[in-house]
Amino acid sequence: MAGPEAAASVPGGGPAIEVNDLTVAYREQPVLWDIDLEVRPGALTAIVGPNGAGKTTLIQSILGLVRPAAGRIRILDRPIRDARGEVAYVPQRGTVDWDFPTSVLDVVLMGTYREVGWFRRPGRAERIRAVAALEKVGMEAYQDRQIRQLSGGQQQRVFLARALVQEARIYLMDEPFQGVDARTETAIVEVLRELRDRGDTVVAVHHALQTVPEYFDDVVILNVRRIASGPVSEVFTEENLRVAYGGRVPFLHAVSDAPVADLPES
Amino acid sequence: MSGLDFEIQLLAVVVSVACALPGVFLVLRRMALLSDAISHSILLGIVLAFFWVQDLNSPILILAAAATGLLMVAMVEALHATRRVKEDAAIALVFPALFSLAVLLISRYAGNVHLDVDAVLLGEIAFAPFRRLEVAGHDLGPRSLWTMGGILALNLLFMLAFYKELKVSTFDAGLAAAMGFSPVLIQYAFMGLVSVTAVGAFDAVGSILVVALMIAPPASARLLTDRLPLMIGLSALLAAISAISGFWIARGLDASIAGSMATAAGLVFLLSMLLAPDRGVVASLLRRRRQKVSFARLMLTIHLLNHENSPAAPEENRLGHLSVHLRWSPEFARQVADRAERDGLLDRGEGDRLHLTPLGREAARHFMAR
Amino acid sequence: MLEALQVFLFDYTFRTVALGAAALGAVAGALGCFAVLRRQSLLGDAIAHAALPGIGLAFLLTGSRATPVLVLGAALAGWIGTLAVMGIVRGARLPEDTALGIVLSVFFGFGLVILTFVQRLPLASQAGLETFLWGQAATLMAADVQMIIIVGAGALALLALFWKEFKVLSFDGAFAASLGMPVRRVEFLLTSLLVVAIVLGLQTVGVVLMSALVVAPAAAARQWVDSLGLMVLLAAALGALAGVVGVGFSSAGSGIPTGPVIVLVASAIVGISLLAAPGRGLLAELVRQRRVGRRIRADAVLADLYALAMQHEDRRYGHPVATLRTMRHGEVGIERSLETLAEQGWARELKPGSWGLTPEGEKRARTRFLDQDAEHP
Repeated sequence: MAGPEAAASVPGGGPAIEVNDLTVAYREQPVLWDIDLEVRPGALTAIVGPNGAGKTTLIQSILGLVRPAAGRIRILDRPIRDARGEVAYVPQRGTVDWDFPTSVLDVVLMGTYREVGWFRRPGRAERIRAVAALEKVGMEAYQDRQIRQLSGGQQQRVFLARALVQEARIYLMDEPFQGVDARTETAIVEVLRELRDRGDTVVAVHHALQTVPEYFDDVVILNVRRIASGPVSEVFTEENLRVAYGGRVPFLHAVSDAPVADLPES
Repeated sequence: MSGLDFEIQLLAVVVSVACALPGVFLVLRRMALLSDAISHSILLGIVLAFFWVQDLNSPILILAAAATGLLMVAMVEALHATRRVKEDAAIALVFPALFSLAVLLISRYAGNVHLDVDAVLLGEIAFAPFRRLEVAGHDLGPRSLWTMGGILALNLLFMLAFYKELKVSTFDAGLAAAMGFSPVLIQYAFMGLVSVTAVGAFDAVGSILVVALMIAPPASARLLTDRLPLMIGLSALLAAISAISGFWIARGLDASIAGSMATAAGLVFLLSMLLAPDRGVVASLLRRRRQKVSFARLMLTIHLLNHENSPAAPEENRLGHLSVHLRWSPEFARQVADRAERDGLLDRGEGDRLHLTPLGREAARHFMAR
Repeated sequence: MLEALQVFLFDYTFRTVALGAAALGAVAGALGCFAVLRRQSLLGDAIAHAALPGIGLAFLLTGSRATPVLVLGAALAGWIGTLAVMGIVRGARLPEDTALGIVLSVFFGFGLVILTFVQRLPLASQAGLETFLWGQAATLMAADVQMIIIVGAGALALLALFWKEFKVLSFDGAFAASLGMPVRRVEFLLTSLLVVAIVLGLQTVGVVLMSALVVAPAAAARQWVDSLGLMVLLAAALGALAGVVGVGFSSAGSGIPTGPVIVLVASAIVGISLLAAPGRGLLAELVRQRRVGRRIRADAVLADLYALAMQHEDRRYGHPVATLRTMRHGEVGIERSLETLAEQGWARELKPGSWGLTPEGEKRARTRFLDQDAEHP
């Protein structure tokens, strides 16, 4: 892989992800309204917002899995179809059937399918990389395990390893901390920081507001439209959260006690 | 029209309506394919009971058939509960096995009796009027008309008596349990009803076309209304229409009556799917076309609002810019802007710059807040 | 028996038919795995039933009853049926099971209309299209078997070629799309292969029951193995087995339709697999549960022995079985639990009918129960 300085470089020093005027609608029902967004390269960005705020849709739009009604998305100053190799996706763990007959290593190898290409199978080199990715998430001992024997946290780490093996520069994750044990949470945070420190960009849909200041650099507060986005210390404010969550902010007290978060929005 | 034709049509209508009534709840409960599974499984009960009583007209046959229907449902649930196979696979495993056993027994041991393998698939509605019910020398009409009429009455009674329970357990099983009636009990009572209905209809139209009669009219009705009582009524009506038109198609083509009834039910569904006033394909397409511009007009006001006070406003809020950012074609952008201007939502400044009017600003805020 | 074996080995006609049944069983078994894993077991049923009008129309339009012509008609109709299911789900926003039920029964009903129509034609007396309803392996000609083998091999070759695409699509479609895979087209190909597998079996197994031959071998194979590759291979083998055995039984008794026999054989294979497979099998599960139960009961007796030992000066004092039974509220099987403890070297029968802990047993009890207490005060 490229060194940190190469990984961090975006032509013209622009944003890692640039979203302009994105509107997505399902059957004339808007899910996202006119979203403008710039994701800073080499940062950990959280997407927060209440249920139905369009968080997953935003991730999927960036990935090109959802057809927007309007708007433009560029990744590293390229359209998504030219930037596929730079982007890794970690879907929600609950969206797949964990009784599928396959092993941990096999799932991680799926991350190499794109570069392996049509009609070919992953070989020795891919296997070595997959094992290395499993080592990063502390799951190398489980490589031959059937995936149905894994705990929720282990499943999540396998999904993370599958993304790591893609050796991407941008990681899009949908609720990576959903229902995982404390050990997994620490392990995942460590991996994410490591990615950031070598210049990669991570965007994660996140639910637990109280850990946002601790885990993330930037935050996007979303509820159908973009309420605010920017560094956590500037935009993760009670006022913004209240707008997004409609008054009933979970853990609001924890947030307003945090010293970083009580600056008014500039 | 001869008396024979009349009796066949009457029977076809009674069978169809009797099937459509429980079908409403099968469709709403997402159990449509259990009707397929039940209608196949009951054959085993019929065959075994026939070997026992040696009489095709015995009511024991109906009871045995209903029992096998319930047995099949229980087997599917048990198999699914082992968590070794998914529910769809459980259904696809159980009923073919029971059905195959029944067919083998028929072809092996009952080849010359009235029960033959083709009748299993085709039913014998055309011959039904020849089997009469006679009491003390009086001809009371076709025997199956009485059977099916009884089943229809049973279905009506059940649905009237348990309407509330059926409705609640269909839409909210948790609430049903909280209100003090067991969704499981209702479920099994209902499955028993479906089984009995399938047995009766089996005689007339065979085991596969029962599914068409149970599912197609309620599915059509579902597209036409969102209200349950109306859906039940419409299902019955569409079932009767399918039955009679099916009969005349069969007449015209000199083909299987049961097959034609299923085909007619399919055509009725196709028409509903295309032409239903609100959920129909045509209505949706028209609405989407209408809404496309009005949705885009809204999108434009919101876009203008979001960028009004930003430093990039002079750049962003220009007509020519819309095709870049919103990815609209220039013609479409102009069309939308014209429409918005006509509606008083925006003004056009020099250099194709767009300004929101106070009304436009209000509208955009309103829609964004939803 | 010997005669049957002789027929099996040397009768040319039988060998041909058995080969055909084995080939189509293998293809159906292999491709059925994907249908089962993608929860499309009942789609196979709809495709098979929807094929009937295609067979009838192909005959009516061409006047030919050559198998390839009829199979082509079946495949087209099966495909249209699949599209109809998708169309109803997307266009009418009805649940999938309703869509499947409508397509299955209406297409089949339409097929019956066409069949009765065909039967009224003068030349139709020899058409023999009814064999497509229940399947009649005896009607398989050498040319039919050849077609099954060639087309089936083609389908399996495509399966091998697009193996990893099919795999990732079936496991995690959204991830597959994020890799830039043309998911729609890959799905189209996979479903097309399923249609092919189904229509190849229609002459032998029949439209009414063909879907069972798609689902059963896959469901059975899943119980034995835990990798997709092995599952597909095993399902192919089991499908072939069901085909050959089914044909054998059905040709033993004349006039018995082949479809039901094959389905019963396949169902028996599923039953055996569900019960007897190591690991996932229900019997293995039962043994596991009993072992766990035994360990829990033995642990309880160990705890009792420990409690008793604590009350005595002499830790090695023997306690009568009757006392232990009273402590367990008269539970039976105390002896069994004591044996288990003795096997582990944790307890010993000090004199007949009297038991005490060994030093290892005491250590075990302390770490096991006291630590646990410390965790949950």
